[in-house]
Amino acid sequence: MTTVTGETPLQGNGPLGQPLDSREDPQLLRGEATYVGDINLPGTAHMAILGSLVAHAKILSIETKAAEQLPGVLKVATAADFTDVMPLPCIWIPGGVESHFPPHPYGLPGARPVLTGDAVRHVGDPIAVVVAETPRQAAAALAAISVEYEPLPVVTRADEALAEGAPQLHEAVPGNLNAYWTCGDKDRTDAAIAAAEVTVDLDLVNQRTINSPIEPRGAVGDYNAVTGEYTLYASTQGPHNHRFLLSALVLGIPFNKLRVIAPTVGGSFGTKGYLYPDMALVLLLSKALGRPVKWVDTRTGLMNSTVQGRDHRQHVTLAGTRDGRITAVRATSYANLGAYPSTIGPGVATALMGRSISGMYDIDAAFCEVYAAFTNTVSLGAQRGSGRAEAAFLMERLVDRYASEIGMDPAAVRRKNLVPKEKFPYDNGLGWTYDSGDYQLNFDRAIELSGYADMPARKTEARARGKRLGVGIASYVAICGVGPSTRMSQEGMLGGTWESANIRVHPTGEVTVTVGSASTGQSHGTVFAQVAADELGIDPAQVQVHEGDTQSAPYGQGTYGSRSYSMAAPAVALTARKIKSKLIRAGAVFLGVPEDKVVYEGGKVHEEGNEENAKTFAELAMAMWYGWGLPPEIEPALDETTHFDPPDFNYPFGTHVAVVEIDELTGETEVVAYTAVDDAGNIGNPKVVLGQIEGSIVHGLGQALMEAAEYDENGLLISRDLGHYALPRAIDAPFFSLDKTTTPSPHNPLGAKGAGEIATVPPAAAVVNAVVDALSDLGVQHIDMPVTPEKVWRRLRGESQ
Amino acid sequence: MDLSLNVNGRPEQFSAAPNELLVERLRDGLGLTGTKVGCDTGQCGSCVVRLDGRSVKSCLILTVSAAGSEVATIEGVTTPGGELSGLQEALRQEHGTQCGFCTPGMVMALGELVENTAADPEPPTEPEIREWLTGNLCRCTGYHSVVRGVQRACSAARAQETAEPATAAASGQEGSGR
Ligand code: FES
Ligand code: FES
Repeated sequence: MTTVTGETPLQGNGPLGQPLDSREDPQLLRGEATYVGDINLPGTAHMAILGSLVAHAKILSIETKAAEQLPGVLKVATAADFTDVMPLPCIWIPGGVESHFPPHPYGLPGARPVLTGDAVRHVGDPIAVVVAETPRQAAAALAAISVEYEPLPVVTRADEALAEGAPQLHEAVPGNLNAYWTCGDKDRTDAAIAAAEVTVDLDLVNQRTINSPIEPRGAVGDYNAVTGEYTLYASTQGPHNHRFLLSALVLGIPFNKLRVIAPTVGGSFGTKGYLYPDMALVLLLSKALGRPVKWVDTRTGLMNSTVQGRDHRQHVTLAGTRDGRITAVRATSYANLGAYPSTIGPGVATALMGRSISGMYDIDAAFCEVYAAFTNTVSLGAQRGSGRAEAAFLMERLVDRYASEIGMDPAAVRRKNLVPKEKFPYDNGLGWTYDSGDYQLNFDRAIELSGYADMPARKTEARARGKRLGVGIASYVAICGVGPSTRMSQEGMLGGTWESANIRVHPTGEVTVTVGSASTGQSHGTVFAQVAADELGIDPAQVQVHEGDTQSAPYGQGTYGSRSYSMAAPAVALTARKIKSKLIRAGAVFLGVPEDKVVYEGGKVHEEGNEENAKTFAELAMAMWYGWGLPPEIEPALDETTHFDPPDFNYPFGTHVAVVEIDELTGETEVVAYTAVDDAGNIGNPKVVLGQIEGSIVHGLGQALMEAAEYDENGLLISRDLGHYALPRAIDAPFFSLDKTTTPSPHNPLGAKGAGEIATVPPAAAVVNAVVDALSDLGVQHIDMPVTPEKVWRRLRGESQ
Repeated sequence: MDLSLNVNGRPEQFSAAPNELLVERLRDGLGLTGTKVGCDTGQCGSCVVRLDGRSVKSCLILTVSAAGSEVATIEGVTTPGGELSGLQEALRQEHGTQCGFCTPGMVMALGELVENTAADPEPPTEPEIREWLTGNLCRCTGYHSVVRGVQRACSAARAQETAEPATAAASGQEGSGR
């Protein structure tokens, strides 16, 4: 059973911090929520996309006549039909590096055209589209399009793409190198490693994974010929960002002529924040045909077109003393960006990963370099825990390797190197400054809760049952709260990364909160209502939350990097405070006392020391709506907005302990116990966060044990559907032991840190550490993910990796 | 081909192509969009409906082969906006849904389990619940809250069974069509 032993950190006596039931759940449970696939506008036509069947080839010709003649077909289009459409841009090229990519007309790094015309560079690269009366007719017509290819050699690994004589993907990018990026101090690190008593090295593969939200992506485009406005319904986690990118940078239409609506979105985990060709295509074709155009992806389509994640090949080194003090860490990573730079993929593969590698440890010298290369695979993007999971994996594997080298307990090594409490804010030497933390408390709690001291006895007991028991620890720091706009611009991100919130108080005392962020299953409607209600001293049931429609919501970048609660929720809180301060000023008028004698508490204003002379929130709302008797300096009505741009990121952290049992006969690894103690600062709704933590851990276990996007030597994606790509099922995880520590962040008024995906960061490392522990007497020092029964079985029989 | 189905207690008559999938009929033909499509291969369970009481993946069944059957979809579990079924209520209390995309399929599949075990002396064990759930993928919750929800629903169903065995047995309970 999941045990949550920590006290719920209430932030006060109000609704914030309470495990309120999610108000979104009933309609989801009844199947009444509307996802993109459920939207059927009158007159809708259906789009299907022809993706390349080969990984790398020149396109010699495309023949569409036969398809055009098929029943129901309304239009077949290729790149030649969209010559005035700009390519999809890449907006996060890590700061300080040259992107080596043909520029976008606006001077941005270009990424990919809406349809490829000259060559295909990965299986699934979109070549043509069909619009027909029904989805079946559109899909059938794809088969009638014939494409003549001239095959080109294929490369699917980043390190191989950088080798002499490798196949070239883009003329403008000689050697396939998109970016060489570094952080930290190379000379200092090299010197520390050269002088060290002990050094350990590992070659790691952080395999490519596919996020696999259960809802594939979809889009509906609707052009209004009367107003000249476009509406896009899309499965997006950032409707405002998509509006900005699509209108100004792709379609070349005014910002205010594109409305983007995110309906209910069926999971995302990073992938639905990216700009994809289909989003532009449904809009362009809706205008061309004068009808709404709808596209819903298939699972195989998703596997071949939606951004994939992780995919680093690394050589990493750790240096330390014989008695367990880490003195330096160095990483060289080959990151596989896929065939084109995705919207923010290059930033994920570099800054998000590299600056995080030192984890919870106080290390004097650190350096990371990343070679980000193009290959004939699907573009790289974010995956739940992206960048930070890759960093934690490399560091936590290294720490275990080091502990075994010096014959010290891995927990003791970690304990010895944690950043001490007094050192915050802590500059990690790689570009991040950790805001706050009590790493010792967190670590000790995880070790104790996991029953770490009993492991030797449990190993013996397991051995008697034919099982090898292993225990693995992984600690992490996850940068969240993206972000401070100026800081992100230094990282190379285009665009403001702030969030905003509007609060409107209606004459009846009910409240509407509108935020720029957009949920993909995180119960924003519940949690943001708690924030506003808590500040205003009212019942959350009085507060209704809206988001996801750029026409009604104020700007916000959206939900990614576990940022909604630490970016959008502070905007809500600050807006509520503006409302409160206006009510204090107006209260002075209504109560007939000076302003400094007006107190706002418990959802009303009253005269200081005289609770009889009071007005409730509802009375004030009505009075402000009438506006009668207000002095000229106080405007009527209550309608406020805040744009929140934090001074810096926030840094949640935690420690996880995995216990695995390996079957001697079959090589099967079973996670038999899992302990996680995470610190996400102050939490708004523990029930919602619990769900996110549990889901995140299972996602991380998936990478460790079963998930891998596999390409063959021809660049065909073998794991092209859920029969070939293993996702964790209900039988794959035990209930977890969960706890939390609470270190508020000083960088937002709620003391919040990111929470949603942070628990995806350490599980892969914890599990692989546990597996290596279980096999250590066989001389096993590392095993690549996913840890399949076959791999383990071979190790049990003495075969090397 | 002209055929008929009984969907959520309502007779439906229509003509269907021989290769039409049941999920297409439900979603596109009958506008019952509560049933979701998450994969092309019968792996994810988002499309589970009940066919003559048994939970099945409606993306793997041809409409013609379902002809004449009773089909129950998520829309039949409750009236629009109406009171949740016992299983749905238990899942709500345990927050057994996040993005909700896998949820209708889960409710249909788990409804069969809760219903069929309500009269057993012992509720299904945790491994039994997890085993039952292997046909349904969820990427958000990690399944734990779903399993807790089923445990809660099974206890509630059992309590009801002991309290009023006759009515509970007659009413059809969780997930069945009305
Ligand atoms: S859509 Fe039927 S099992 Fe996935
Ligand atoms: S709740 Fe999102 S897939 Fe299950």
